[in-house]
Amino acid sequence: MSCQDYKLTRRRMLGATGASILGMSVRQLLAAAGSSHKPTAEHVILFWNGGGMTHLDTWDPKPGRPTQGEFEPIQTSASGVQISEIFPQLAKQMHHCALVRSIAGTQGAHGQATYNLQTSYRQAANLRHPGFGSVVVHERDRLGDLPAYISISGRAPRAHYLGQKCEAYFVASPGDKDPYLAFPEGITQIRGDKRLDVLAKFNRRFNGKSVNPKLASNQTAISEAVALMRSPALAAFELDKVPTTTLNRYGDTAFGRGALLARQLVETGVRFVQVNRGGFDTHSNNFPAMQNHGSVMDPALASLIEDLAKTGMLKKTMVIMLSEFGRTPRINANAGRDHWPNVFSCFLAGGGIKGGHVVGSSDKDGMQPDQQPVPVANLHASFCYALGIDPEKQVQTPLGRPMKLVDGGKPVVELFG
Amino acid sequence: MKRFRLAVPLLLLLVAPVCGADSLGQVLDRENQALGVTQQALPTVDDLAFLRRLTIDLIGRIPTTEEIQQFESLPAATRRQKAVDRLLADERFADRWTVFFADMLRLRTNAEGGAASVAFINRALRDGMGWDEMARRMIAASGKSGATPELGFILGDNADPMALAGATAQVFLGVRVACAQCHDHPFDVWTRKDFYGLAAYFGKTRRVQSQFTNTVYTTEAEQTTVLWPPEGVGEASERKPMLATFPFPAHKGDRPTRPIARLAQLRERLAKLAAAKSNRVQAGKDAGLEALLAAAAGKADQRSSGKKGDSLGVAREAKRDAQNLKISQARYRASQLRTELGRLITDPRNRLFAQSFSNRVWAELIGRGIVEPVDNFAESNPASHPRTLDFLADEFIASGYDLKSIVRLVVNSAPYQRRHAVGLEDPQRIKLEAAFLATPMRRMISEVLYDSIVTAGHLFDVKHEKGKNLKVVWRRTRVAKQPAEPEGKTVKPQTLAAVVKGKPAMKKPTPGGTISPYNVENAIELDFDSLLSESKEEVRIDRMKVMSKEEIEAMRMQQEAANRRPDVRFFDRFIRTSFDDNPRFNTSMRMASPAAPEHFLRIFGQPSRATLDEKRDHTPSMRQALMLLNGRLTHEASRVGELEPMYRLLTGKSRNNTAAVRLAYREILTRSPNSTELTEAVTIVTSAANPLSGMADLRWILLNSNEFRFLP
Repeated sequence: MSCQDYKLTRRRMLGATGASILGMSVRQLLAAAGSSHKPTAEHVILFWNGGGMTHLDTWDPKPGRPTQGEFEPIQTSASGVQISEIFPQLAKQMHHCALVRSIAGTQGAHGQATYNLQTSYRQAANLRHPGFGSVVVHERDRLGDLPAYISISGRAPRAHYLGQKCEAYFVASPGDKDPYLAFPEGITQIRGDKRLDVLAKFNRRFNGKSVNPKLASNQTAISEAVALMRSPALAAFELDKVPTTTLNRYGDTAFGRGALLARQLVETGVRFVQVNRGGFDTHSNNFPAMQNHGSVMDPALASLIEDLAKTGMLKKTMVIMLSEFGRTPRINANAGRDHWPNVFSCFLAGGGIKGGHVVGSSDKDGMQPDQQPVPVANLHASFCYALGIDPEKQVQTPLGRPMKLVDGGKPVVELFG
Repeated sequence: MKRFRLAVPLLLLLVAPVCGADSLGQVLDRENQALGVTQQALPTVDDLAFLRRLTIDLIGRIPTTEEIQQFESLPAATRRQKAVDRLLADERFADRWTVFFADMLRLRTNAEGGAASVAFINRALRDGMGWDEMARRMIAASGKSGATPELGFILGDNADPMALAGATAQVFLGVRVACAQCHDHPFDVWTRKDFYGLAAYFGKTRRVQSQFTNTVYTTEAEQTTVLWPPEGVGEASERKPMLATFPFPAHKGDRPTRPIARLAQLRERLAKLAAAKSNRVQAGKDAGLEALLAAAAGKADQRSSGKKGDSLGVAREAKRDAQNLKISQARYRASQLRTELGRLITDPRNRLFAQSFSNRVWAELIGRGIVEPVDNFAESNPASHPRTLDFLADEFIASGYDLKSIVRLVVNSAPYQRRHAVGLEDPQRIKLEAAFLATPMRRMISEVLYDSIVTAGHLFDVKHEKGKNLKVVWRRTRVAKQPAEPEGKTVKPQTLAAVVKGKPAMKKPTPGGTISPYNVENAIELDFDSLLSESKEEVRIDRMKVMSKEEIEAMRMQQEAANRRPDVRFFDRFIRTSFDDNPRFNTSMRMASPAAPEHFLRIFGQPSRATLDEKRDHTPSMRQALMLLNGRLTHEASRVGELEPMYRLLTGKSRNNTAAVRLAYREILTRSPNSTELTEAVTIVTSAANPLSGMADLRWILLNSNEFRFLP
């Protein structure tokens, strides 16, 4: 059941070892073998919709079919592309956006499916894989003072074998100040700075001439923390200066503020922002629930795309909206839909994504992939492609086991212009 | 046989003091000579540095000023050994080493049966139960989650045979066979068939969850789920039940016989003592080794089958459940296969069992294993000092697999007491450390760092006078305005009763422990004793639908939307409350673990205990720095409270800044300041707005310093 991702044989291992003797590391070899594709995306905003968002009532409407449900499809600014009526504003931005309507999932339970969609790997007993945000910040340098990877309104997956440096910085509630970024209450700036100066002096004396890396790296961590505390870039975490009109345009909901914060953060150089939202596990009363979700998501997503496009940031920022699976075409006795991994959709925009495009399709009732099924790992490989990351690159786990960044997917090149 | 000491008080009177400690250093010296090591060992650390290092390692926090004073009052020649004895007898010893075991066994207090298992380990350590006995119980455990506290290990991997095979080999024997689940091990001798043979010991074990009560228990089925050849290899029809086969050969040479003879004598003596004490004739009277081993293994068997020796009430509970639910007697069936596996693993002729554990303890105390990494005993990864490792393993077996004995052996030895190689270039330093001629620099583990800050800052107890920390908070409540109601009715925020199974016994969180983003340093403390108490209250949820987290969230959101009905008007009412925010922190050793991902303990490297490949991460990070620079724990530890000794030295007529600085150094760094440091620190204290703030600055600096965080 586990380990299916790892079929390294003795022979291949010997091959790899031999290669490194020739003076090239495995990594170099892989880089040499990989494409010289230039990255089109510098930043990612990932909206994670926990619970399994219905594909039929959002990105993949089935008008006139018994599986349609209560919503009608609407025309969008992308010719020939229809989405659900719960997204009237977003419909006007669809010429910037793309959809994948043929994700072929394999996992029908929340835990396993979330794991699969967030890491590209299947859950294994002896190993935990890093989330995609950790992969990105492992491969792409930090820009500016802010942490490279920030998770809003919920937790991003852990970095596991990629290490502490690739963990997400956590913002519990968008707009809230992180108390750990300022001196404790009652400690003035002058007093705090004086403390820091003396601390640095004490540490220098203690470390002495020692070149012990353990001591040195501790000081680096303190310096980084202080740089962040003093950075003007911290203003990007704040929403108090945002005009009310803008807040209202995004909907003035936690999700809207999350989208707004994500925009500010990528504009300040953050590589990867994940905005989390739950409540999509609509086993009962699917339609009022989705109407409600639509009213929250639509203004936020539409305004975000519009604003990013206006400032030119959309060119280098990939916006992704993803969920662990879709929901059953059949509507159950409680007017709900149950888990459906066989086929579902995702939303993409920017960072090289071809606007107004749809990849793949589900069959007439949204039961199975029809054209161009996209395995989950192919999505991750596509994200890597946009970011100029080699998905085949291997990193070592603490046990010395080589692991690929992505579980063997191929990029969906049709997504890119 | 004068060499061992046990945690049995009666025995202490009969056995002469230890003298094995010196010889551990000698064994290492001889082996280094034989290996051609020419460097000189670094000298041992001074007395106070030793006390700090030892206290941190044995009871998980820095020494208090009282303990320093007590230590200094002892004669110089014997104070180190005396300190070792005192700390081994300290009740915090079990707490500190429970963390070591919980990491190794990957026990999670929020997992099914996990909290009870952590409590079981803690109790076993307090009672001085041998590691062999603990291992046998955990491997063979069968029964109900929580009620059979040993069950956490089996349930931790959901009783999955493949996961358990990998975990069992790695945890108890330090051997990594998990790779062999899918393919023959790329760098080692293990084949896929070896792996399946080991997994077969777990093949009949089933994890069962009662539909009525949600109670989780394990039982044994007739059929095994482990089939050979593996899935996808050959025809499905050819797959046959795999025979349980122990892949680790017993040692054939004469090496094991010496410690085994000593073990037999020890057990005989113990059995006699126990017999004399209880006035009952015991089987151990003329017991040979085999009989004794069988008796020990049998105990675990009886416990899990609920026949006798049932101090934990498994049988009673099992009976009651069977009556209540009229379910067949097949519940809680003991596992013969796993009982056999436990016997094979803990057989003294299986050297790996004693070697791997001794090596783990050595690595924990010295900072580097004789086999490194500690869970990779393999031909391709030989021990750096095999004779020293053998010596440790022998002593460990002969002590009856007693943790305190081996800890005592190591901490009394010269290699443990050596200095760090400071000021040397890396290659030289690493050479010295690899030969155990110098000790590697070690950072306190997260729990120890936490408890040490609490100790240094006098935060285990209230340190401020009543009313000195009054805080005013405004709480917002949503109030519904309805015409029908005469007065505004408060609408409580939607709180969904979580479906809690086997809810761990929790102590009340400290006041002010409401969820706030600035309170990630506090946590819920577990009450180990009530977790093991017999009158265990059970949460019974009859016929309740189990909902997923996501489903609950969906429901909550819908209700929220429903609450926004236009016919009900709400307004916000602000209520002013004040409370005495007098800081107090509990020990982190007994917190629910692993803590939440953003908690202090996790930020400083507490593992999630989810997978076999996870190690404690000791690398610094920006998050750690922010946590200590600006966190509440350091801040409160730095502030001087009126009720602590420091206060008198800084206020009133008899104020004495020099004495105050000396005290701060002793409290925080377990040493006196030198003259430069003293002058400098006095200036810090006197140049501030007032001496109390100045002292807070000094303490904050010392608590944040590298010297505080790294062991001397």
